[in-house]
Amino acid sequence: MQTQNTDMNNIGVVYKKLLGHYAVHHANMITTCVLSSKLWKKFEVTHADGDSHRVIAVHEKHMDPVAVGDRVIFRPVKDGTGLILEILPRRNYLARGSAKPNPRAYSFEQVIAANLDQIIPVFAAANPRPKWHMLDRILVAAEAHQIASTILITKFDLVKGRKDEDELLSAINRYKEIGYPVIVTSAKAKMGLDALKNALGHRTSLLVGKSGVGKSTLMNILEPGLDLKIQSVNPSTGKGRHTTSHLEMFPLAMGGNIIDTPGTREFGIWGLAPENLADCFPEMRNFIGKCKFGLSCQHDEEPGCAIRKSVMNGTISPFRYKSYLRMRMDL
Amino acid sequence: MHSTTDRFNANFTCKFCGIYVTSHSVVSGVNHRNHCPNCLYSRHLDLYQAGDRLCACKGMMAPVGLTTKKVSDKYNQNTSGELMLVHYCIDCGAFSINRIAADDDNLKLIATFKNNLLNKTSFMHREKLKDIEFLGEEDRQMLQSGLFGSTCVTRPEHVCA
Repeated sequence: MQTQNTDMNNIGVVYKKLLGHYAVHHANMITTCVLSSKLWKKFEVTHADGDSHRVIAVHEKHMDPVAVGDRVIFRPVKDGTGLILEILPRRNYLARGSAKPNPRAYSFEQVIAANLDQIIPVFAAANPRPKWHMLDRILVAAEAHQIASTILITKFDLVKGRKDEDELLSAINRYKEIGYPVIVTSAKAKMGLDALKNALGHRTSLLVGKSGVGKSTLMNILEPGLDLKIQSVNPSTGKGRHTTSHLEMFPLAMGGNIIDTPGTREFGIWGLAPENLADCFPEMRNFIGKCKFGLSCQHDEEPGCAIRKSVMNGTISPFRYKSYLRMRMDL
Repeated sequence: MHSTTDRFNANFTCKFCGIYVTSHSVVSGVNHRNHCPNCLYSRHLDLYQAGDRLCACKGMMAPVGLTTKKVSDKYNQNTSGELMLVHYCIDCGAFSINRIAADDDNLKLIATFKNNLLNKTSFMHREKLKDIEFLGEEDRQMLQSGLFGSTCVTRPEHVCA
């Protein structure tokens, strides 16, 4: 369906979404919009009732067709709000499989943000402890959608001079050797902030990570006017307190945009075929097709596997290989 | 996804002898079943520490001998350590020392002990195992009492002549 682009219609970027309302940025103004009923109908799915053969129309239960970062055509309405008429094609997007409330539940696609220049997985050096497997999942999702990634480590002051520092630095080196840029910061010690600013300037970046790693804290430092709500980590559980509750994009004074997200408990890979998983590990790409069983190799138990051989001779990190196997089991 | 309990109690089929092995601690007496109780073969899955599952070799590990766990009991200098099984990776030549489980075949353990005495495990590179103190002929009595109890020590001809 093509919408007529009349003088009344504007093109804007979705900066925030909350309970079916979208803040659309256009000409330095924010207009609160809702989806037009015509657009909703495009996303309706018809199902035939198995018993009565009656066709019923239902919305995809959990689907929100608009993501932060989407470019939309909207029409202003008299009361100052707007009506989103069309979503323009996305350059790229990051999606994840939703968290499942129980093992039997179905996962569904959650588009986190669209039209991104880079993804910044944020992990704390300590409190909460970094989950490297989750980082691998985010990096794989970014590779699958062909989006660049920059790894951000926060709260480095908590491990500096302690025994955990060596373990952290070896993990950081692991990712640097693959080719991922890694920025180590500390908001308390004002460390690494210039490098972070350089990485963020004139680009649209998505911060994603667990609750309590300091995403909003860093944004408050980068843009002091934002005044985002932050809380300390729960001292008894060592976990974050889920302070940020919605996705929002903020323009940066130095140019570019940054998207703050609520804390992510788990990150499911979505829409990736198991046979394409190794292609999303940059260090494994050179060995794909060189196994004894060629492209049919699953890189798990097969004899003559080039990737397993590379893990054995130290070219590929065993931790990354283990992440690969765990992800492959979930796909 | 497996729960933590399931992961530690994962049953498996032995890749060497094909027997189905239950790894429940009630049966095996150990929390981490890492070898087949029938043929005593294991797999090379751990790299830095037990249970990390970081090794990509995944080769078969043959039982090549028995040793004892080093103990430091300052009150009893004569205490011998727990019997341990030495595994050797046929693919990459790594070795590991593992606890013997309650349901391990005792006769196979004796056979492993004898093979080691007779130096029959020809595939292994003995220089790699030079740091391990294998049980020798002088430890036979201790091995018998460890596997079959003190009765066996008085009449050893019944089980391990």
